Amino acid sequence: MLRSEHAIIAYDFATMTARPDRLLRSRDRAYQAALADCVTLYRQGTGSRRQDLHAAVAERLERLPGCPPRRIAAFCKLLDDASQFKNPGQAAASLRRRFFTAAAPLHPIVSTREGIFEHELGAARQEISKQLGMPWEEIEAELFSDVIELQRLESFRETLGAGDVLARYNVAQTQAALYRASQIRVTAFADFRTIIAHAKLARLMHHIDRIEGPRRGYRFRFDGPGSVLRTTTRYGVGFAKLLASLLHCRDWTLAADLVGPGGRRFTLAISDRDGLQPGAAAETGFDSDLEREVQAVWDARPVADWTLERETELIACGQTVMTPDFALRHRDGRVIHVEVVGFWTPEYLAEKTRRLAAFRRQTCHEWLLLFPKKQVKAAEDIARAVDLPYRLFTKRSDPADWINAINKSPAS
Amino acid sequence: MPIVEFQAGTLRLAGFSRSLLVERLGGLPIRFDPRDGGFRCDAMWFGEVSRRLAPELPGGDTIRWQVEPPRKRPLSASFSDRRTIRLRDDQRRAVADFEAGDRRGLLVLPTGTGKTVIAIELILRHADSVLVVVPVRDLMYQWHEKIRQATGLDAGLIGDGVYRVSPISVTTYDSAAIHMPRIGNRFSMIVFDEVHHLSGSWRSDAARMSIATTRLGLTATLPSSPERLAVLEQCVGPVLHHQTIQEAAGRTLADYTVRRIAVKLTEAEERSYRQLSAVVQNFVYDQRQIDESFRWEDVHKLVAAASEDPERATEARAAVQAFRAKRKIEEHAEGKLRVLEDLFRLHADAPVIVFTGSNVMARKVSLRFMVPCLLSHCAKKERREYLEGFAAGRYPVLVANRVLDEGVDLPEVKTAIVLGGLSSGRQAIQRLGRVLRKSNDADATFYEVVVEGTSEVERSRARRRNDAYRKPS
Repeated sequence: MLRSEHAIIAYDFATMTARPDRLLRSRDRAYQAALADCVTLYRQGTGSRRQDLHAAVAERLERLPGCPPRRIAAFCKLLDDASQFKNPGQAAASLRRRFFTAAAPLHPIVSTREGIFEHELGAARQEISKQLGMPWEEIEAELFSDVIELQRLESFRETLGAGDVLARYNVAQTQAALYRASQIRVTAFADFRTIIAHAKLARLMHHIDRIEGPRRGYRFRFDGPGSVLRTTTRYGVGFAKLLASLLHCRDWTLAADLVGPGGRRFTLAISDRDGLQPGAAAETGFDSDLEREVQAVWDARPVADWTLERETELIACGQTVMTPDFALRHRDGRVIHVEVVGFWTPEYLAEKTRRLAAFRRQTCHEWLLLFPKKQVKAAEDIARAVDLPYRLFTKRSDPADWINAINKSPAS
Repeated sequence: MPIVEFQAGTLRLAGFSRSLLVERLGGLPIRFDPRDGGFRCDAMWFGEVSRRLAPELPGGDTIRWQVEPPRKRPLSASFSDRRTIRLRDDQRRAVADFEAGDRRGLLVLPTGTGKTVIAIELILRHADSVLVVVPVRDLMYQWHEKIRQATGLDAGLIGDGVYRVSPISVTTYDSAAIHMPRIGNRFSMIVFDEVHHLSGSWRSDAARMSIATTRLGLTATLPSSPERLAVLEQCVGPVLHHQTIQEAAGRTLADYTVRRIAVKLTEAEERSYRQLSAVVQNFVYDQRQIDESFRWEDVHKLVAAASEDPERATEARAAVQAFRAKRKIEEHAEGKLRVLEDLFRLHADAPVIVFTGSNVMARKVSLRFMVPCLLSHCAKKERREYLEGFAAGRYPVLVANRVLDEGVDLPEVKTAIVLGGLSSGRQAIQRLGRVLRKSNDADATFYEVVVEGTSEVERSRARRRNDAYRKPS
């Protein structure tokens, strides 16, 4: 990610909209070529100092007409992010201590000796070299080699090409614009659970509205605890993190309120059709294996008039949200929430039980718990504790039996 | 059951009727939060909220307080006063003024009058959890050491890549603003060293998100803008004590002399300097033809607007580069190293501190004269080694950049040299303050080395108009 001082945002005062800097493969073809050179500079630059690499990148990019300094600094940051620099750390610090200690008795070191207690510069350097057992040139090169701008490049991510740098740049600039956002609104028609889970990871608060038609979806408003007290950009980094996850999702639009020049409010619009490329896959950590099995069982023997939808219902209780693993939806509008209970620890099960008990009061819909066959004992305990119907399932189960379970008393 | 809880730097009040809140907490900035059906305010109102909700509620409801994390044993038990020094009368007056002001407010004291001594006294009297917020990492380690000496406690550190929260902790302004949503309920007292740093909207979150009811702000110079001062008064408290530099000088501070030494540029430097100046002047002249109101500061906007007007941006960039190169000639003028050499000769028998305007110049001086420099990359151990070694006379000179600004404790010294730099009034006061520390009533000398005939001389004159530079009569 970039730092906020790298952000380039165009503000349109007529429409009060904001547009983060964006480079296009076709229009900005010259950048592709220049960035290829910069990537080569880094690839072949092992051993070069950071400040020299940055100067070389700047020299190359300055040749492009209309390339502002911030853009250059941003590319340096992105290239650095794909690099490993050598930090000698303690070695440089210990060289300094030895150096200054050895030189202390020679103070003052003068260019031309006058008094008898003075030491001439050349002689002093020789003396120190001898004491430290290092040539002067090496002392000079190593003395401050831990300073960030003087660190030397050790390696550069080999797989990274000019096109990747360009793609990363566009995402990073959009994220950097979000650092100035006070609130974002996301309208989504898929992947709700991913969105809400990553909003939680980014420590954001939400407000959720359901969209009934023509397509079913949700409208999310994200900000943070302090947002109700004043307009604040302190959750901007959280929005930027959430955007990185959103890029992996389908069918969404995002509108952000940016605090622009003079504290005025500008809108930034982003959507899944903007062609911003997602980075490395975001980790989710859901029990998708079991869910995949349930889906396979249903697909093998679907029940007439019913559809099985994955994670399409959000049930919000204040700031806690539950996304049942599946919704069984009938043509007439009836819905059965389906939770697949997999297994880790007793703590996990206790938490699951507590949540189910809390959430079943929030909705008028029916609930069904599905357990893998081998979990008979836990299935009975949990279903009794939360007073919900349940079924054990195997690959040969008949889904019609799941729907029948709703019409019977629990645990029958 | 009504509940008051700390939530990410705010107080959340749930289960209260609106009418009760209006009756008890009217006038406080509390908002309804439709996202979770509760009410919310900044954590800094905790003292006021708990005081006003203390009397019994109608219907005998009891409030569940989930604000402060439960503590195993009272903290006061682990405190012990290990100090060897006693407070002077003027310091005792500052302490009394703070306590008379309900333990919420600002103490304005010139550098060198022992702000830390006063703060430590107040921390010991508080005898409970404390967070000390400081401007830079050096000061964080320095406070850590001071607290250890005074109380025997190993204070927590939050910042510089460390996150170790203890009942007594030290942090920087930026780390405080970042982490306060998580640690804002851990401290009942908060100390802002160099409190003028707090007035920005991001940094003031550090104060707003803390529940601390005892709030101490220390500074040598209050912000001149009324808006910024108002932020400090709201987030910390009113000015409770004000001592001017004139009152402090002579009594608690050594007398001092300011000597300005102007160095000439070498012929080659002079030639480049003139050429670069011409580039800048021509550029400004051209811009004024386009726009009469053009000022030099506007140049950066032109550079940034490269996509709208590439040609003008290219010229602007050339002008900026020329301007920077000019500054670099001033900053690195060979003559300065010559003057330094002479001053080192002159004061070869006594410790000297050199302040530079940049890290690059600090390293240059350090390498040329083979003397240690304190820079931001130095780790805690290395800094301490240089500071202690300098104090003990193992190192003859210490070079520092502005990293050291704002009251980092330096060993007592009679001679300090400032090389150029872009000092503002406040920096000048605080740099000077360190030279002024009481040192056996001996005269301290403060050298300013600037380049003749350049803007640095102008800046130096402006600096000396500040009252910090007037020799007290």
